[in-house]
This record gives sequence, C-alpha cells and structure tokens, in this order.
Amino acid sequence: MSIRISRAGLFSRSLAVVGALGGSALGAAELAASSGSQHSAVSDREILNLALLIARLQAAFYAEALKGGQLTGERHQFASVVGAQERTHVSFLAAALGPHASHSPRFQFGDATTDPKKFVSTAESLESTSLGVYNGQAVNLTPQALAAAARIVSVEARHAAWARALAGKDPAPVAVDMPISVAKAKSVLAPFLV
Amino acid sequence: MSSDDSRSFRLHDFDVDGAVHETCERLPLETRSGFLRTAARTGAVVLGGLVLRPAAAAASSSSNDVAILNFALALEYLQASFYTEAERIGALHGALAHQANVVGVHEREHVKAFKSVLGSAAIKQPRFNFHGVTENPNAFRSTAVAFEDLATAAYKEQAPKIESRTYLAAALAIHSVEARHAAWIRRLAGFLPAAKAFDEPLSNQKVVAIVNSTHFVTLQDPSMTARTSPRFTG
Repeated sequence: MSIRISRAGLFSRSLAVVGALGGSALGAAELAASSGSQHSAVSDREILNLALLIARLQAAFYAEALKGGQLTGERHQFASVVGAQERTHVSFLAAALGPHASHSPRFQFGDATTDPKKFVSTAESLESTSLGVYNGQAVNLTPQALAAAARIVSVEARHAAWARALAGKDPAPVAVDMPISVAKAKSVLAPFLV
Repeated sequence: MSSDDSRSFRLHDFDVDGAVHETCERLPLETRSGFLRTAARTGAVVLGGLVLRPAAAAASSSSNDVAILNFALALEYLQASFYTEAERIGALHGALAHQANVVGVHEREHVKAFKSVLGSAAIKQPRFNFHGVTENPNAFRSTAVAFEDLATAAYKEQAPKIESRTYLAAALAIHSVEARHAAWIRRLAGFLPAAKAFDEPLSNQKVVAIVNSTHFVTLQDPSMTARTSPRFTG
C-alpha cells in the first residue's frame, strides 16, 4: 500500500517538474531564492566554487580510499576511474575560476575510506549531492557557465548510478532527479570538512 | 568558459563503443541503401521533420522552447517505444530485463510529462520499426547504450538554449536520469559506466542524423504527412 502511494507521488512530482504545476513541486525554495536574481559572473563564481569544493572533496575521498588499500574488484576500479575524473573536474573548475577559486579546505573521512560498504554508500551520497546541487543551481548560471557545468553534471550522474549498482540498488531509482538546495548540499559535506 | 567545438561530426566520434555502427551493420545492405536513397530524396525522415516543423505556440512558452521540448519528446517516444516493445516481446531475462522494465517506466513518464506540458503543440508519436533489436538481448543492449548516451548528449546541447527557468530545471532533472540510464546499461554491456571526465553535447542535427542512420523511424511519404485533411476528402 505504501509502495503504491509513493509511486503515485513520484509520478505526480515528475509531472510537476516538467512544469505542469507551474514549478510548485520543483524545489520551490530554490526557485524562490533565485527569483529576481540575475545571471551574473558573481553568481557563477559562487556556484562554481561550491562545485569546486565538492569535486575536491570527492577527489580526496577516492584518493584516500585507494591509498587505504581496502578496495578490491569493481569497487577498486570505480574509485580509480571516478577519482581520476574528479581530479580532472577540479582542474577544470579551478582553471575556469582562475583567481576567484577558493582555497581548498582539509578533509576527513573517518572509516568511509576503509570500510568498503561505507565507501560505497558515501560515494553514492557525494555523487548524488553533486548532481543534485548542479541541477538545482543551473537556472542561476549564465548560459556559458551552464554549458560547461552540463558537461560535468551527467558524469556525476553516471558516478552516482555506478555507486548505486555497487550497492546492489537500481542505478536510476526515479524518472527525474530532484534538485537539492545549496544548504542541503552543505549539510552533506559538513561532516567531511576539518 | 567552454569554447565551441566546431570540428565536423563523424558517427564514430559519438558512437565510441560502436553500438550504432554495429546495429547498422546488421541491417541488410539492400534496406540500408534503399533507406539512404529515400532519405536523400525527401531530405528528412519523420523525426527530423517533426523537429523542424514550426511548432504551434503553446501558451506562455516561446516557440523556441516548444521546439526544444518537442525534440525531447521525440527522443522520449523513441526510447519509450523501444523499451516497451522489448518488455512486450519478453526476450530479455535477469538484470537486462529488469533494466528494460525500470527504464521503460521512466521513459514513458518522460513522454507523459512532455505531452502534458506541450498540450496541443505536442508532436504525435512517430512509428518505429526496431528491426528485431528488441528481440535479441545483445542487439537490445548495444542499441540501449547508444540511445541513452545519445539522449544525454542531446539534452546537454538543448538545455542551455531553453528560455523558461522551469523547463530548464525540468530538462536538467531528466538529463541526469538519462545519464544514469546510460551508466546502468553500459555496465550491463561490459563498458565503463563513466568513460570520460566530461560528457559532450550533440547538436539536434547530429542526433537526428544518428537516429536516422539506425532507421528505426519509419519513413513516411512527405505528401501524406503534409496533408492534414482526412483521407476520404482527398
């Protein structure tokens, strides 16, 4: 019974996302917070700096997990492939931001890099947070920055899907990826910041 | 920030795993060349024709947005038909059957959503002929890889051109799901789910050219598609 209700809810949300309900279900807070704000170099910088922080955190996470030596098989391959791609994203975003790039904080991951199960669930959380915040903030980017971000966001979605597969879950659980707020993203990142 | 990549497009640039190529190779040569001749003569197949057709203005949407949403709808029709047919035929088993069923639900939801938004401006569903690839697990798998990577690239190209913030957010929310689908089927096909650090966009002309090259879209006589009056009056 509860499954049926939740499936119906997901479907109505997916319709709403495509605008049938005027965006009411589409992270209303996101749209409200951004309404009236103009696309600008300043908002590009804020958003891309958050993207840079997430990419740095992910790169550090995968590097530490590989160094820890507890990953084998496809988990090891995942950390290696995805880690290299996150390092590429860091370079790309840092270059795009130039002198406006924030300094990198230090990170702590506890046993998320040594316990293979925690590694996979943390990877899924970080990757889905990354794509969710890109999706949420995209409307605030200038078209040029959006085009650049779009080349990264679908790769983050691929990472999230792969991590879910490693956890034995459906890689794509729902028909639409709901955007998440900056505040929500920061709350996910907070435990990893020293 | 990103410069436009203006190099000329070749199928294998996109079709990195050879899935589309492989699919086309399986087609009888006669059919293929006949198709190409017909396509060259008429200048467009249905998918391209639908995209290029001036869209009826949907209330409060720019004609540009309507055209983009209809293009997305055409791709969703293609995918939804593909998975629905595979599920109906029942030749898939195990993880592949599960992928087809779950992804099919998503693609059908995308179709419904775009039709709902576009209302009377929505294009009609084209007729597809998948030439047996839905009956063969290997052919299904490689075609699904091509479709999902193609859809991801198509959304990526179109999204920054969308004027409405609501539609942009919606297109991105679907774009990343198409990328998840791509990762899912790539893994089942033995490819890396995420092969490169960046996913590149693909113009609608190139997307149409690729879809046409598979000739899954049934070519219709342009004189018939142009005629809107019922047949009996002609």
